[in-house]
Amino acid sequence: MFSATVRRLALSGRKKVSAEGELLHRCLSVSSCACGKTFPRKKPRDVPEIQALERITYAERKHYVPGLAKPVFPDWEKDWHDPRRYRAPAAESMELYKERPCYIYTQRTNPLEGVRQALWLTKTKVVPGFPAQLLALAENPANQLEDQDERVQNAIRHARFWDTNQLRPPKERYCPSLLHNLLHLCRGLQVSHPALGHRMLAEKYSLSASWTRGEDQFQVRGQNGFLLSSTTPLPAVAGDEEIRSTSDNLLETFYPISPTIDLQCAHVYQLRNHTGFREDYPYPHAHTLFITEAGDAPKLEPEQLRAKLIMFAFGNALARARALYGNESRVLEKPVVVQSVGTSGRLFQFVVFQLNTTDLESDSGVKNLAWVDADQPLYDFAKVRPFIKKKVVKVPAGLAGYQPETFKKFLALYLHGAAN
Amino acid sequence: MSVASLCRAFRVFSLNSSILSAPLHTPLAVRGVVGVTPLLRPHPIRFFSSTEPRPQNRTLWKQTDKYTVRPIGVKKTGGRDYTGKIRRRGIGGGHKQRYRMIDFQRMRFEPGKEKGTQIEERVIEVRYDPCRSGDIALVAGGNRKRWIIATENMQAGDLIKSSSVIGRMAVLANEGDAHPLGALPVGTLINNLELQPGRGAQYIRAAGTCGVLLRKVNGTAIIQLPSKQQIQVCETCVATVGRVSNVDHNKRVIGKAGRNRWFGIRPSSGLWKRKGGWAGRKIRPLPSLKSYVNVSSVSVQP
Repeated sequence: MFSATVRRLALSGRKKVSAEGELLHRCLSVSSCACGKTFPRKKPRDVPEIQALERITYAERKHYVPGLAKPVFPDWEKDWHDPRRYRAPAAESMELYKERPCYIYTQRTNPLEGVRQALWLTKTKVVPGFPAQLLALAENPANQLEDQDERVQNAIRHARFWDTNQLRPPKERYCPSLLHNLLHLCRGLQVSHPALGHRMLAEKYSLSASWTRGEDQFQVRGQNGFLLSSTTPLPAVAGDEEIRSTSDNLLETFYPISPTIDLQCAHVYQLRNHTGFREDYPYPHAHTLFITEAGDAPKLEPEQLRAKLIMFAFGNALARARALYGNESRVLEKPVVVQSVGTSGRLFQFVVFQLNTTDLESDSGVKNLAWVDADQPLYDFAKVRPFIKKKVVKVPAGLAGYQPETFKKFLALYLHGAAN
Repeated sequence: MSVASLCRAFRVFSLNSSILSAPLHTPLAVRGVVGVTPLLRPHPIRFFSSTEPRPQNRTLWKQTDKYTVRPIGVKKTGGRDYTGKIRRRGIGGGHKQRYRMIDFQRMRFEPGKEKGTQIEERVIEVRYDPCRSGDIALVAGGNRKRWIIATENMQAGDLIKSSSVIGRMAVLANEGDAHPLGALPVGTLINNLELQPGRGAQYIRAAGTCGVLLRKVNGTAIIQLPSKQQIQVCETCVATVGRVSNVDHNKRVIGKAGRNRWFGIRPSSGLWKRKGGWAGRKIRPLPSLKSYVNVSSVSVQP
């Protein structure tokens, strides 16, 4: 009844207005809903600004007045600091703003091309596999733990089963926990190798290293993983012959994709070279970097994790080299070696990075070297419950498929520089 | 949410009234405590006390200008438009979907590289998209990544090209490449057709469809749409060569009524209706050629 009345009124109103030939949609008496028609959203009218003419607004009247302009008030500036509603000033007005952009690699970066991209950015030749002389270290029975396999398996079981009272600890929990367990086992060798005492594990250190590659500026910065540093530098892995032969190596490019894809392009930045520690820090030489797949940063695919390992090992080496030899680019007399280990809680990635040169601008000349040992499983399954399919137990509960070679490699990297 | 905001709105009144009713001459110690109250006073809620719409109904994903390849969470519209009226009946419910921004304009250059005439990109991934019937492809070139509509045989690792050059000779185009219509040979199967140069593809985007370039007449091209209607567009309009992916889209078996609900389609009325003139075969002439050349100037003229 009511709606019929409204509709009739509205229709009569429409007729009347349309007879005047303008403003068809302004049925002020009723809503457009009753009229049965929706009109497209109108664009706000462009009002020209005329110099020396002041617009009369309805600001003083404090209510809308037809014919008067809408007042424009200045933005309200709070006289207190409210961090939740803070608005950063425009980038151009910042002190550190620069015209030339810088591409920043952080721990959250997920490079599309993975290792290939990291190799281009760091001007590196990759050698697949683990360095042989390092592997020989761990094969030596004098360098091994007592009951090594048994203790490592217990370390894995602790991380995967006994760490929490949850049914199954999440990856964010067992990944660092396994890493710390293994490091704890390695530290036990200090009895037979006193040089292992000159080590320090640092968490949440912040790195910054910058370099120029081609015409672009690059920077590796921010927090990453745990850094094991030592009082003595690591010996070079590759000899002079091998270093000289790297100049024949051609860097792989991936046209049409640019090597800077997925890196953060910033105009507000500061180019610094800093290891993240004070100059009088007694353990200045970065030894091994441990990065977990899941943790503070978002989860990365194994390929991208390897790229991250290379980039941050390179960043540590470069910051150290710049501190030792100054900022000019040159071929280093004593190469800087940094190792890095990445883990997903099951798969391990080992990277040994040797910085031979800080002359990164051109593609020619001596390259850096990286040994990448990819996807080494420490064990096959760690199941809280057995995996049953068609009433047949496919995988029993508990730890299965332990592979001792992976821990040997881990131990070899730890002992590098402290054992013969 | 709404109940909480209502409570907050009423709290404004209660605190105000208590402040007003409080005696003006309070002891110093008490005044020190009372001095905290202005900080504690909640802000008046803008959407509640004015005609501003409630922020939970804002559809920010529609208004973002900045391109991203990350999927964006969207809210179900239920077929309603911004006023709340049903624009498209029979829509509602279904599985939650996320929107991936598709770049329909193949000749969109990266900032700083606008002077080029060609874009080369590599396909990284071809995947299902819940928001459309065809598949979509993630392509990367230079410093950026974007989603485009995948063609029939597109695979990860393919190199695709977009060009704006109209040469004297017709190009030998590969599937997935984008060219202006003037550069393509007559009889090419095309998809993702622009109606006006530089506006982005609007036609022939559904799964398995393709149009045919029939002929080129002094600066315009005549195309047969999948509906067999012929349209005339400017020859600088860019189109992709080939057929849209997911060719078997029309052969899928829905299986049951509930599956259509998963897709967000509501049942039709269910009542028996006598078939009228709409049913059955009709013999009628083909619709005449529709021209999209200089549409804007035509609309200005009358």
